Amino acid sequence: MKSREKWCWSHTTPILLKAGDSVKGRIYTFTIVTAVLGFMVAVQFQSTKEVEVRDTRNIMELQQALTSEKERQQELNEEIKKQLEHLSQLQQGGDVEEVMASAMEELKYRAGLTEVSGPGVILEISPVFDENFDGGPIRSVPPYLLRMLINELNINGASEIAIASQRVVSTSAIREANGVTLINSSRVTQFPLKVRVITDDPERLHYAMMSSSSREMFSYENLSLESSTVTELVLPAYDKPMRVRHMELIKEDS
Amino acid sequence: MWLPVMGLLIGILLGLFTEFRVPDQYSSYLSIAVLAALDTLIGGIRAHLENVFEDKVFLTGFFTNILLAAGLAFLGVHLGVDLYLAAVFAFGVRLFHNIALIRRILLDKWLEKRKIKKETQDEEI
Repeated sequence: MKSREKWCWSHTTPILLKAGDSVKGRIYTFTIVTAVLGFMVAVQFQSTKEVEVRDTRNIMELQQALTSEKERQQELNEEIKKQLEHLSQLQQGGDVEEVMASAMEELKYRAGLTEVSGPGVILEISPVFDENFDGGPIRSVPPYLLRMLINELNINGASEIAIASQRVVSTSAIREANGVTLINSSRVTQFPLKVRVITDDPERLHYAMMSSSSREMFSYENLSLESSTVTELVLPAYDKPMRVRHMELIKEDS
Repeated sequence: MWLPVMGLLIGILLGLFTEFRVPDQYSSYLSIAVLAALDTLIGGIRAHLENVFEDKVFLTGFFTNILLAAGLAFLGVHLGVDLYLAAVFAFGVRLFHNIALIRRILLDKWLEKRKIKKETQDEEI
């Protein structure tokens, strides 16, 4: 054995140590290093931990949320009441067929499969040509404008909408193919384009649309949007087959 | 033997309770530094088992590796090259290598111990 080295007993196994290097010192070194490592790991863990999402809404926003939830609750309650009425009618054993037929009629109305009439607003979209006009001919109204218009109409209380002769229902597609706008897969190219809207308060909708941002957006595309109120409007029914993709018929055990 | 484990626990507790946070954009540097530290620690344990451990080499290696790794990552960010991958690769390979060596040494020791035990038992009989 060399003179510089001596045997020393560690805890379990004999370990060769060099002179001037005690087990204690070695352990302390390891302790310091592991402590630093632990600190770094802990800090890293805390830093990469996801920040908890806090509710930062103020009273106004909370009240609005509460109101909208209450409204929704009321709607649901009304729905329940209606369904219960249906049920009791059916249970009383009156004319089941008639009840079913009326329920189906109601559903058809809500899906937009029936003609509807009522007071409303007619919006006319027509091209404007001024001296500064450049760009190609305007063939149809761009779909994004129509989508924006529909959103704005719905915000302002529209109940039923038809663009040209096409009724807008919940599954209506407004898209563009070869520079031509299609609604419900039908070409919508005529000008002026008439958008007929049935609403409970035509006056209000009329003024809302006259000061709407979509009117401004239409003007950027060299299109003008004119609105007028009508006391009686008839909207066509949705005439294309309904495409139901995410619903399935459940057969009840008989 | 238990002192280093205690040190690790103390370090973790300290890190958890001091509310010390690293900004998001620097957390990659810290992670690479953690990797470097882990590599050095495992290397130190290996050296200890192979009886070639030296305090000064270990300590300087620990800190310079950390700084170098973080510096490399920093340089990589500024050069637009993912240099930290080089550090990750190097440290990862070494980590596995060292752990494999440690396992072998411990296994050898254990087998030898068992052999000696058996021999003494045989002698007694």
